[in-house]
Amino acid sequence: MALLDVKQLTVSLTSKTSTLDAVSELTFQLQPGKTVGLVGESGAGKSMIGRTIAQLLPPGFAVTGGELLFDGEDLVGMAPERRRSLLGRDIAFIPQEPLSALNPVLTIGQQFREHLEHIGKGGAGWKDRAAAELEAVHLHEPRALLNRYPHQLSGGMCQRVLIAMAFASRPRLLIADEPTTALDVSVQARIVRLIGEMQKRDGTAVIFITHDLRLAAEICDDVIVLYAGRQAEYGPAEVLFRDPAHPYTRCLELAVPDVTGDPRGLYLLPERMPGLKAIADLKGCRFATRCPLADDTCHTQEPGLAEVAPGHVSACWKSFATEGITPPPAPAVAARGSEKILEARGLSKSFVTNWRLFGGASHFHALKAADFIVRDAEFVGVVGESGSGKSTLARTLIGLETPTSGTLQLLGRDIIGTDGGTRDWRQKQMQIVFQDPQSALNPRRKVGSIVAQALEVGGPRLTAEALEVRIRDLLSDTGLSQEMAARYPSQLSGGQKQRVNIARALCRLPRLLIADEIASGLDVSVQAQLLNLLLRLREELGFSMLFISHDLAVVRYLCDRVLVMSKGEIVEHGETEVVFSDPQHPYTRSLLAAVPKGVRAPQVEELSA
Amino acid sequence: MAQRFNWLRSGRVITGLVIVTGLVLCAVFAPLLAPNDPTEQDILAILVPPVWLPGGDWAFPFGTDSLGRCVLSRLIFGSRIALTVAVCGALGAMVLGSILAHIAGYFGGWVDWVIGRVVEIWLSFPPVILSLILMVGLGAGLQNVILAIILVDWTRFCRVLRSDVMVVAQRDYVAAARLLGFSHWRTITREILPATLPLLITLMSLEMGVAVVVEAILSFVGMSVGAEIPAWGQMIADARADIYSAPWVLVLPILAIFVTVFGFNILGDGLRRTLDTRLTQTERA
Repeated sequence: MALLDVKQLTVSLTSKTSTLDAVSELTFQLQPGKTVGLVGESGAGKSMIGRTIAQLLPPGFAVTGGELLFDGEDLVGMAPERRRSLLGRDIAFIPQEPLSALNPVLTIGQQFREHLEHIGKGGAGWKDRAAAELEAVHLHEPRALLNRYPHQLSGGMCQRVLIAMAFASRPRLLIADEPTTALDVSVQARIVRLIGEMQKRDGTAVIFITHDLRLAAEICDDVIVLYAGRQAEYGPAEVLFRDPAHPYTRCLELAVPDVTGDPRGLYLLPERMPGLKAIADLKGCRFATRCPLADDTCHTQEPGLAEVAPGHVSACWKSFATEGITPPPAPAVAARGSEKILEARGLSKSFVTNWRLFGGASHFHALKAADFIVRDAEFVGVVGESGSGKSTLARTLIGLETPTSGTLQLLGRDIIGTDGGTRDWRQKQMQIVFQDPQSALNPRRKVGSIVAQALEVGGPRLTAEALEVRIRDLLSDTGLSQEMAARYPSQLSGGQKQRVNIARALCRLPRLLIADEIASGLDVSVQAQLLNLLLRLREELGFSMLFISHDLAVVRYLCDRVLVMSKGEIVEHGETEVVFSDPQHPYTRSLLAAVPKGVRAPQVEELSA
Repeated sequence: MAQRFNWLRSGRVITGLVIVTGLVLCAVFAPLLAPNDPTEQDILAILVPPVWLPGGDWAFPFGTDSLGRCVLSRLIFGSRIALTVAVCGALGAMVLGSILAHIAGYFGGWVDWVIGRVVEIWLSFPPVILSLILMVGLGAGLQNVILAIILVDWTRFCRVLRSDVMVVAQRDYVAAARLLGFSHWRTITREILPATLPLLITLMSLEMGVAVVVEAILSFVGMSVGAEIPAWGQMIADARADIYSAPWVLVLPILAIFVTVFGFNILGDGLRRTLDTRLTQTERA
């Protein structure tokens, strides 16, 4: 018998006037010891299943149909006491943000003890049991760890602690909601391997929720692709990734760049996934509005889930016509100039970490003697794990930090610690695009005022008409419609905000853009649009860019050259294709190896910590 | 536009506004509204009870005090002093406090340290004692009451606003503005101030209530305006002698202070609920 049997589960947002389905008729079975992946863009409803099981649905949402059977028991109608006894014991969770899931004012030991008490393993000797669990997730010196606080550990370590807690009760079902999204690729690889290892030890079934189709294909037995709350496709992971039946699966796969293989373009899904309200008005297939294969039938009749192969179902009128969807050709290699836009020599930055009145201070070297050149119309990628000094590099280049030593020349002009005139000139020539558009856009300014903000100071005052024209140009350059100018940032989607963010930086036509993780945290279809936008803008405006990212595939797609950073040092640099196809430094090799490629790895026996 | 006037929909804001507007009208049109000259003594009509008590006289709707002065007229003229002090005192405290708060929160470092320590030292004096000491030093008089309120209460603004400024100053859009070539002054006024303004308005409204109370205390001890000008605190002080025979003379000015402070506080609370960015942002998310 299946451990988890989900039958026609429907979760809706109900109000007095309407019922909007967030998840419609979700059906799948999960056998003990198996892993099922839930994949989709944000808003697809992939987190709803975990929330339904935990009864942590957002306000207004409720289960309005179907059944959710855990080992034959109905989880939806179950008495609260019974559910409480299951949760944390038979059903465990691993959250997305490990740091916010741990209480910052309690030690790891106190929290572990609390959890052990909840699952009935508390009492004397809890320390030994906790230490044993921590050891099982390959944490060194587990006993010392018990006395430490969450903020003293890295994100990856916190996630291991949470995994150790989750598996302490030998759960039968584990729900992992994007457990690696907040972590670096190399940490991600270790964490998913660890979950697999623990799962094997205890025979646990796992629901793995992720937006990364490749990661899901690598670690799951079955994968469910969700679109707008409905199952688009459900089948064995390998088949689904290699030979998808549903056009959405295929589009998702083609929308993200690869780290290996021949260069190709990114498939652009038009528009956005319909929201809850829009879904209710759709008559036909929910994907029809964005589907490259859609015809009249698709727009008028909703396809049911149909078996296309044993154990493989797809909700599409044209299942397996997906070969027709091909990626566009790889973007043309842009002509690069030879002019040196930016040249750094021995650029370093250290921070005082532990200042004492007597006995000097200790220094943390965030950036160690970086040498590099960015040439005209060249996109240079900077990759590395968090803490490798990528952001310090960006902040130093832009002038938010003063370098400890070294020289920095912009267009042949020295720009460190110089007078106001040079500063103004530097600000005109070099601009930064911040990572988080939520924080980078003033919520009290309208979009039009944000993009033209740079024109408020410096240079002659523009007339109202000239300003209007500039705003219009910037908006159309970045693919935003004109009426956006009158909106506030809170009324825009994540992708639109990031475009506004770019438009503002481009306002005075800088020669160099510094982009700090600007494509992370976006849905794959939005990310693909953004990457193509940057390539098009380079062609039209001819700027260079230093593109900082932890996503190697994106860097390979976008950048001509790449710098690999580790612990504040540039350990390898060169043409992107050369570095990615023939990495020299072991660190680069390990980074590349950690990127999910959609191929199920051979069973890893031992784990190197 | 609908969003901009959201705060008008709050019941608290409406209540507060009605009370405050009523007071402002009283103060502005005092000579027209008052039935008698507030300083004129009618020796024949001492401690006349208000009209709703036996022996009341419509010539003195709220009765008279021990010197035969019309209580209602004195209350109406007293609102002039109360409001002058409330507006000027709160405005001054706000200007001083918020300028220092923006400087401290924006620049941080040693500037923040110095301003922070000054605020701490300032706050360690009990406010009433501090204002009394100041009044002794400055001498009595309306301007000095306002000055004392400013000098005592700027710390409230500074403390609360500084932390808000710090949060906003760390947003990337502030860094972006600097990198677009904005001067410090322009960054503060164009990027930070709009974000802290709702809190500023709210604090200002609450501070007005506080200023009314402080003025009442100072005029109670005779440190405020001269005896020839009616003020609520003074009325309370004068009425103490007849507290048993004519309680209304004491109760009515207390009631006036209560209503005024209540009006400012409920207005402030309503504005906080509707304007505070933190609250509105969570609602939007």
